[in-house]
Amino acid sequence: MQVFKLCLKVLKKNIPTMLIYIVVFLVVSLIMSSALSKEMQADTLFAQKKSNMAFISEESSPLIDGLKQELSKVANFVELPDEKEALQDALYFRSVSYILRIPEGFTESFMKGENVRLKKTTVPNSYSNTYIDLSINKYLNNARLYVRHIENISQESLVQHLKSDLSVNTSVELKNKSDKVGKHIYANYFFNYMSYSLLSVLILGMTALMLVFYNNDLRRRNACSPLSARSINLQFILASLLFTVITWMIMVAFCILYNWKNSFNLNTVYFMINSLVFAFCGASISFLIGNLVKSANAISAVTNVVTLGLCFISGVFVPLELLGDSVLKVASFTPTYWFVTGNNRIAKLAQFNHSDIEPVLSCMLIQLGFALAFFAVALVINKKRRFQ
Amino acid sequence: MIIKVKNLVKRYGDLIALDHLSLSVNEGEVFGLLGPNGSGKTTAINCILSLLSYDKGEIEIFGQPMTPDAYNIKRDIGIVMQNVAVYNELTVYENIDYFCGLYVQDKKLRKKLVDEAIDFVGLGDFIKFYPKKLSGGLLRRLNIACGIAHKPKLIILDEPTVAVDPQSRNKILEGILELNRQGATVIYTSHYMEEIEQICSRIMIIDKGKAIATGTKDELKAMISMGEKITVETYSLSEEQLSRLRKLPNIASAVYKNQTLEIKSNKGQNNLETILDFIKREGIQFGKIYSEMPTLNDVFLEITGKELRD
Ligand SMILES: Nc1ncnc2c1ncn2[C@@H]1O[C@H](COP(=O)(O)OP(=O)(O)OP(=O)(O)O)[C@@H](O)[C@H]1O
Ligand SMILES: [Mg+2]
Repeated sequence: MQVFKLCLKVLKKNIPTMLIYIVVFLVVSLIMSSALSKEMQADTLFAQKKSNMAFISEESSPLIDGLKQELSKVANFVELPDEKEALQDALYFRSVSYILRIPEGFTESFMKGENVRLKKTTVPNSYSNTYIDLSINKYLNNARLYVRHIENISQESLVQHLKSDLSVNTSVELKNKSDKVGKHIYANYFFNYMSYSLLSVLILGMTALMLVFYNNDLRRRNACSPLSARSINLQFILASLLFTVITWMIMVAFCILYNWKNSFNLNTVYFMINSLVFAFCGASISFLIGNLVKSANAISAVTNVVTLGLCFISGVFVPLELLGDSVLKVASFTPTYWFVTGNNRIAKLAQFNHSDIEPVLSCMLIQLGFALAFFAVALVINKKRRFQ
Repeated sequence: MIIKVKNLVKRYGDLIALDHLSLSVNEGEVFGLLGPNGSGKTTAINCILSLLSYDKGEIEIFGQPMTPDAYNIKRDIGIVMQNVAVYNELTVYENIDYFCGLYVQDKKLRKKLVDEAIDFVGLGDFIKFYPKKLSGGLLRRLNIACGIAHKPKLIILDEPTVAVDPQSRNKILEGILELNRQGATVIYTSHYMEEIEQICSRIMIIDKGKAIATGTKDELKAMISMGEKITVETYSLSEEQLSRLRKLPNIASAVYKNQTLEIKSNKGQNNLETILDFIKREGIQFGKIYSEMPTLNDVFLEITGKELRD
């Protein structure tokens, strides 16, 4: 296993450069995870927002008390002196967004069925004010109905009626397709973004390894030894696979660590399988690039062009939905696209029947196809190079 | 017979790098392949080792045909390439251990062999160094250690001493002779005739892919008509004296330039005496006077009409 050990030593020497990519990746995913978890909380909790209002009444009556009580469901009351300037300031500084004034004689006119109006002053364009408007209208419209249809109804019984009517509440629930789905947003992001780092690290490592391994002088020197070419190649492939799997394991391990609560389910297993398939695909791409690139200086340039290019058009950095049709058409000829598509599908999986899994599996199969294709092309180039 | 090559032809496109080259190397000898740059030495070695495909010819090593997968033959060959082939990612020790490990599986034996090889090339102080930190000469020595650590029966060295200082070079040459005494057959290529003369028991001179002469150094020198070369430092020599000198028996040529008289004599006895007599007779004042036997360069010059060194 001389060659195998040699390969590992060469890879070990290249750890520092690869580490840069891994660390950047881990930091970005850490930032992402905290940002996402906040966003997820905000998204899933629905609460009616209460806005601040000033309730200024020039008289007092049971009807008005009832209104105030009703409004307390949608607004916080702020006590303000009844002075023009103070009120204007309060609006200006947004300490209240709504000022309601009940003029003297309102109750009496209302009970008589006359048309009366309340006076409101609001901050423009505040949607929470709509709730207040709605509440007031609902209260007064209902009250008007009672006043019209029940002769001489007392204010007390009117308020009683209104109270029981309006307490019939619609509870609003924001329904996600399934709450499970939200759980996988983070893993989805993580694995999508992982394709970039995984590709970078694999290409860096493999090309560095191959520059050494396929150096003409060294290859000739090895060819002088009694080790068969087959055995040498086999050990090389073995070392490459080990490198691929270890790189993959490190990245996946961090996903599970970051996302501990949501990690132990079938979705994660599928995320892992999909990314492992992609890792092999990446190894195969690296093998191809390693056969094409002939200088150490070109490695980092090629790494950046290939990884950034693939990842940009395939929805790693920009969601697929935001990419144009023509871009998507091109993207569908890249393995990253199918990896990302696979991840997005896995994130939405709530059931794991055959029919649910199939679209995910097909993404993996396509990636495997890419892996084989790249590997085959690399072998052809490799053979040509050897006989030159 | 350790190596037998018959009518080897290698073409690079239009260039004929090896032109019906035949050679044989006997067990226990130090066989020298001498030729100027581009004469085809490395190409010959690479073909012999099946590292290159060739157009025509037969190659046998240890009595068996050599092919790319003749691993049993390769097991007994040690190779020191002209281009240093070591891993920059491995230390001196690890490099030697790696290459030795390609031949020797047993760890204990290998450690012993590696230590011996390190002693052999005198790299004891540098075992933890990476090749990038070694000077050119030390790097060459590492290259040699990697090639011979496993104690092969046949050692092939392709210009192993390029860029090595004279002292280390002598050490290396002595080491090669020591390996030969321990039983290894050696093939040594170089364009330094002094090295080849110093260590090789049999020499083949090649030029433009063709073998132009083979034999021991004395045999080679016997092939040419030139006897000795006599140099006289003198301040005055008239044209008449020079032409009288040229008429002496056995004188092939005489040139007077920069106050130095260079005389080449044909093979024969008492050439130096004749000339000394002549100088005395003519009353020529002289400083130094010395005589040299022909070198391989003279052999090369007489056969090809050009200097071995450019
Ligand atoms: N890969 C190649 N392609 C084309 N021509 C080559 C190749 N390798 C060597 N040659 C040519 O073949 C000839 C013999 O080269 P070779 O390297 O065998 O010479 P050499 O005797 O080893 O010279 P040196 O003393 O410089 O090492 C040269 O003319 C060289 O230019
Ligand atoms: Mg050469």
